[in-house]
Amino acid sequence: MIKREQQFKRALALLALVVLAFAGLGFRLMDLQVWRHDELARLAEKKTQQTSWRLAKRGDILDVNGNLLATSVSVKLVCADPSMIGGQQAVVAHALAPWLRMSEADLQQRLIPRIQKNSRGETITNGLHYVRLQKNVPEETWQQIQATMSQLKFGVDEKKLTKADRAFLRNLRLYAISAEPDQLRVYPNGPLAAHVLGFVGMLENTNHTSEVFGYDGIEKFFDDKLRGASGWRVSGMDSRKNELVTQRDENVKAQSGLNVVLTIDAAVQHILETTLTNAMTRHAPQSITGIVMRPRTGEILALASLPGFDPNDLRTINTNTGPDRVISDVMEPGSTFKTIVISGALNEHIISLNDTVFCENGLFHYAGITLHDSEGHHFGDLTVQQVLQKSSNIGASKIGIRLQAPKLYEYMTGFGLGAFTGIPLPHEVSAKNFVRPADKWGKYSIAQIPMGQGVAVTRLQMAMVMGAIANGGVLMRPMLVKELDDANGNVVQRYEPQSVRRVVTEATARDMVAALKTVVSKDGTAALAAITNYVVAGKTGTAQKVVDGKYANDRFVVSFLGFFPADNPQLCISVVMDSPKEGGHAFGGALCGPIFSEIGKRCASYLNIPPDLVPPPAGTPDVVASAQLPNNLPLR
Amino acid sequence: MAKNRKNQAAAIRFGPALKALFLCLVIAGSAVGYVWQKSQVYQLGKQIRETELRLVQLERNNQMLGDQLADLRSPVKLDQRARGLGLMPAQPGQVVRLSETPFTPSEKSIYARQFAARPTGVSP
Repeated sequence: MIKREQQFKRALALLALVVLAFAGLGFRLMDLQVWRHDELARLAEKKTQQTSWRLAKRGDILDVNGNLLATSVSVKLVCADPSMIGGQQAVVAHALAPWLRMSEADLQQRLIPRIQKNSRGETITNGLHYVRLQKNVPEETWQQIQATMSQLKFGVDEKKLTKADRAFLRNLRLYAISAEPDQLRVYPNGPLAAHVLGFVGMLENTNHTSEVFGYDGIEKFFDDKLRGASGWRVSGMDSRKNELVTQRDENVKAQSGLNVVLTIDAAVQHILETTLTNAMTRHAPQSITGIVMRPRTGEILALASLPGFDPNDLRTINTNTGPDRVISDVMEPGSTFKTIVISGALNEHIISLNDTVFCENGLFHYAGITLHDSEGHHFGDLTVQQVLQKSSNIGASKIGIRLQAPKLYEYMTGFGLGAFTGIPLPHEVSAKNFVRPADKWGKYSIAQIPMGQGVAVTRLQMAMVMGAIANGGVLMRPMLVKELDDANGNVVQRYEPQSVRRVVTEATARDMVAALKTVVSKDGTAALAAITNYVVAGKTGTAQKVVDGKYANDRFVVSFLGFFPADNPQLCISVVMDSPKEGGHAFGGALCGPIFSEIGKRCASYLNIPPDLVPPPAGTPDVVASAQLPNNLPLR
Repeated sequence: MAKNRKNQAAAIRFGPALKALFLCLVIAGSAVGYVWQKSQVYQLGKQIRETELRLVQLERNNQMLGDQLADLRSPVKLDQRARGLGLMPAQPGQVVRLSETPFTPSEKSIYARQFAARPTGVSP
């Protein structure tokens, strides 16, 4: 009986133990599955899932013929986990320093886990698990780094090590050095068209990768199109941190940015830049700019501003290279402005090309000021055509006075002065403050402005004025981008030439072309701008610079704007030089004329522009060639 | 009676054994099939991953070759290479331009050419 009672008690105790054990397990189950569910689920997810970012390739920038002007290449951002390196920094640094192009000592320092105190005295372990070693490491180099790490020797017989030590070395080789995908913006032609293309900046993302953003030029203006959209992938990992494809939760593909196809022709741009570079060496100006465009469409084939820079190396950018002078600098146009005055007067039928203007023998007193024609010239009667040909300041002033201020202002704004041209580049200025309405002009402005003083423009605005004359009187919007393409080359958006307005009639434009042709003749101011086998029309400009509030006699902005073939214009070219070393002896025709001629000749050959001058038989002096005789001294 | 019972008992034992065996085979087969399928899924996932990596590598190589091609076709580099070889743009004196005058053959010359072109002995 007692025995049975004991057995019952034992069974009861056992049952109590079992119940207690199950209660304990139940409690633990509740703790893990209910009370700490969220926290542990996050922890488990972190250990078994990874989110990898998929960078969108930034779109390329191409020239009109598909030549690559800017592209992005895949590179790696090499990082280290110092906590996995233990005391082997020296071995790892010795092996990797040559690949990472770093000094061994510097690399070794970076591989040491850092436990520091911040400004508030708190202990921080920044760099304990993650430290950046090198950016922009090419893919091939990263593969070499991986191979080097997998064969790393530590000078010990690993067979004699404990299991834990062997695992440590295995993890060091496999996981201590890692890489993240990154992009590097590359400009294959270096400084070519640098001011047009611009350059990019880098921002660090929250996921430690660099985000490229446009900082200047086309890179900035079309940043949202070029940028694309990053993708991501959330998937499970095995114990060796390999992705388990079957456990992919999210898989969003990166969308590449659009390619921007410019109207720029790399070959024409090269011709322009090499010619301007030579001129820079010869004349040592503060700066020199050039534009080559098609006047009928406004397509810009080349646009250069020197001194330039190499967008691959941002250290080459300084205050001299600055933003693009063609659109951001304002200058007094000088005699090229006479094109506007005479066009306006012809269009209003106030004058005709054969009308005579008395040029006061070189001295003209008006509203308390005395105007001069250029040094050594005392013109008497000149026809309107000759006023342009010889660039008479007094002749232009008198025509301006006859046109009257409101009409002159109307033509100035009609030709686009004081307004943005609409070129798709950042930093364009309108120079609106320098093109004041007629009612705000001074008493002698109407005599001064027609000769290109007291008004300021951008180089592009003046080039567009000349383009409008060449285009039969229709002002075009400058066109720099031809189309936007997707990564497969499909056209997403095409840009068409846009006319802004008709400024003068076709007849007026024809008269102007006839007059501008005479500028590039042996009696004109730009005989040196002639191009063999082509009839050139154009206008010189020599503007005094304002220094300390006064016109300086030794600092000039010289220019030549022209187009050819004159009666069927294919190219309009602008060359502007700021403060050449010739000082007071600098003239637009003498300095910029030959540069124009060289650019025109090379472009005509490259673009296969049919000549409009039949070459004379051998031995006969060429009409145009005779204009290049050294005795033909150019006038302002 | 005993004989019959013996025979019946033997029949009953054989049947359940077969059924049990069949059931075991089904369960074991399902288990092996499940493991095999899991293994296949893992292997295929691995293959997909490897193929994706290969695709990325090929795309990268393609991009690299494209960049190399662009570099070789760059007008700037071509110009530099041409100048390195001592070549330079043709000077105006070296260019001979031919004027194109429209050709208007006389009637006589047209007939003469037609007859000259026709093989002898062949009627039109």
